[in-house]
Amino acid sequence: MTASTPNALCFGEEFPANGTPCLVHVEGHGLTMTFPSDREAGESRSESVPFSELTVSAGGLDHDQLVVTWSAQTGQRTLYLKNPDVIRAFRQAAPGHLTKPLERAAKQVRQVRQRRRIVWSIAGGALLASVLGLWFGSDLLVGLAVDRIPVGWERKLGESAYHDFLAQHDVVKDGPSVAAVKEMIHRLAGQIPDNPYAFDVTVVKSDVVNAFALPGGYIIVFTGLMKKAESPEEVAGVLAHELNHVLQRHGLERIVKQLGFVAVVSIALGNPPGLGGVMKQLGIELMTLKFGRAQETEADVTGLQLLYRARIDPSGMITFFQRLAEKDEGRVEWLSTHPMSIARADRLKTQLAELPKQSTEPFTFEWAKVRASLDTPGGVP
Amino acid sequence: MKSEILYPGAFPMVRVELADGEHIKAESGAMVACSPTIDIESKMEGGFLGALSRKFLTGEKFFFQTLRASRGAGEVLLAPTVPGEIVVLDLDGINEYMVQKDGFLAGADGVTIDSQMQSMSRGLLGGEGFFILKMSGKGMLLLNSFGAVHKIELKPGQEYIVDNSHLVAWSTTTTYNIEKATSGWVASFTSGEGFVCRFRGPGLVFIQSRNPGGFGAWVRQFIPVSE
Ligand SMILES: [Zn+2]
Repeated sequence: MTASTPNALCFGEEFPANGTPCLVHVEGHGLTMTFPSDREAGESRSESVPFSELTVSAGGLDHDQLVVTWSAQTGQRTLYLKNPDVIRAFRQAAPGHLTKPLERAAKQVRQVRQRRRIVWSIAGGALLASVLGLWFGSDLLVGLAVDRIPVGWERKLGESAYHDFLAQHDVVKDGPSVAAVKEMIHRLAGQIPDNPYAFDVTVVKSDVVNAFALPGGYIIVFTGLMKKAESPEEVAGVLAHELNHVLQRHGLERIVKQLGFVAVVSIALGNPPGLGGVMKQLGIELMTLKFGRAQETEADVTGLQLLYRARIDPSGMITFFQRLAEKDEGRVEWLSTHPMSIARADRLKTQLAELPKQSTEPFTFEWAKVRASLDTPGGVP
Repeated sequence: MKSEILYPGAFPMVRVELADGEHIKAESGAMVACSPTIDIESKMEGGFLGALSRKFLTGEKFFFQTLRASRGAGEVLLAPTVPGEIVVLDLDGINEYMVQKDGFLAGADGVTIDSQMQSMSRGLLGGEGFFILKMSGKGMLLLNSFGAVHKIELKPGQEYIVDNSHLVAWSTTTTYNIEKATSGWVASFTSGEGFVCRFRGPGLVFIQSRNPGGFGAWVRQFIPVSE
């Protein structure tokens, strides 16, 4: 550092509001301020003040500057010192009456610095944890982030994708098939305690064998899937599975995982507007959302339990899954997102066997009539 | 490095003349046009973590652009995204300023940009996030505002109350407290936030004559809502 570089700001009546830079020297009797001249050629001006006239305190935005004040002939003078060398020299040279206020100021600075270090390390640690956590796919962090997303946003997210999808497909507005799936959803939803989702189901006219649920509780069933089912319990099995993807918020978990920690950080810091934009971009991609194996197992298991509670025969779920996998005809899209395996069917069978036997309640509609209605163009706009 | 503000008023642009080898850091997207001798580099100011923290915690762009006169002297034209004034500050190495995240337009290479954390209560109540930018060092600093810029000069101990969303930049010699606006303040301040900053001098406070959030709300009422 060159000796002529200003190291402090001096405030006073005749100085500008942002102060005048000056060079402070600590001397035996007090302080000397040298003000550099405005013009290159002009000579610099100096001012001295004895220690006995000074009062000190901590000041500035972070209370980390040493503020020295005194009364000069021209009025009140205030000096803001930040340079550690100058502050140290000042503390060494200052006489007894300044020791106490100096200690107080120094303590305040230390506290501010310490507090800032703590806050930074917490923030840094949190950032690092989210980076590392997502790097290793920590489900815990994803779960924490997902927990902070209100159902309202989830609905908005699902809703826009739902409407986009329906706009591009043939919707079956009413008729036996719509009544049938509504009854199934009603039976199942009635067994979900504290259900935050108002499930909305639509039948789409398509030979594709598929059904899916979007975040927020929007369910789409293809007529192709209903045609493949030999009993309503089979369709209800698929629906129970899909409903549980919604209830366990699997879609959100996937999104958070795919978006990485951008979403996590903005969710963790409560920045929904940023997330909304990203969510909109996801749009139709949600349809092809592939869940993880653990999520599928969870949806199977909880789906089976839900069927059981709703007194719908769960064996329909198992036989339908198996039959879909065996017969290799048509586009069974549901299988591409739900690969069938012997282990999967076996797990469901084992689970079903563990549940106490109970009588089941049939649906109020006739499945043969529902299926027959699928072939007629009725109800299609 | 020389700068000149063109078309002062609501839609200004700034011309910066760079000598051979000189460079300037600009907010990414600020560059409008430049001489063919200028190279544009994207650079993460403050390293990777610094850039990350700025990006996610202040919403500030990940990169600043470095515009370098690497193939001879030249000029660059810079403009902010929003309509509003451009202010030139000459940092002297002693005066330092805190700048609201959207207020930075460009800075000479001698200007150091740090993300700084506001104290918890300031960050929470202020609604401006926990991080603001601290400008120190020496050289030209270009700030931009939404609307016109008004400079408030505070003598030592002098106080002034500013609606939080109108803040652009302030000296580090000032102190401030975030206060909940009383009902009277809410009526006269339109931020809707209900929070104001009580600044205490000495130092300068730069404020903008328009509030981006308030303007956004005003525009939204003319946008038809689907449904
Ligand atoms: Zn599934």
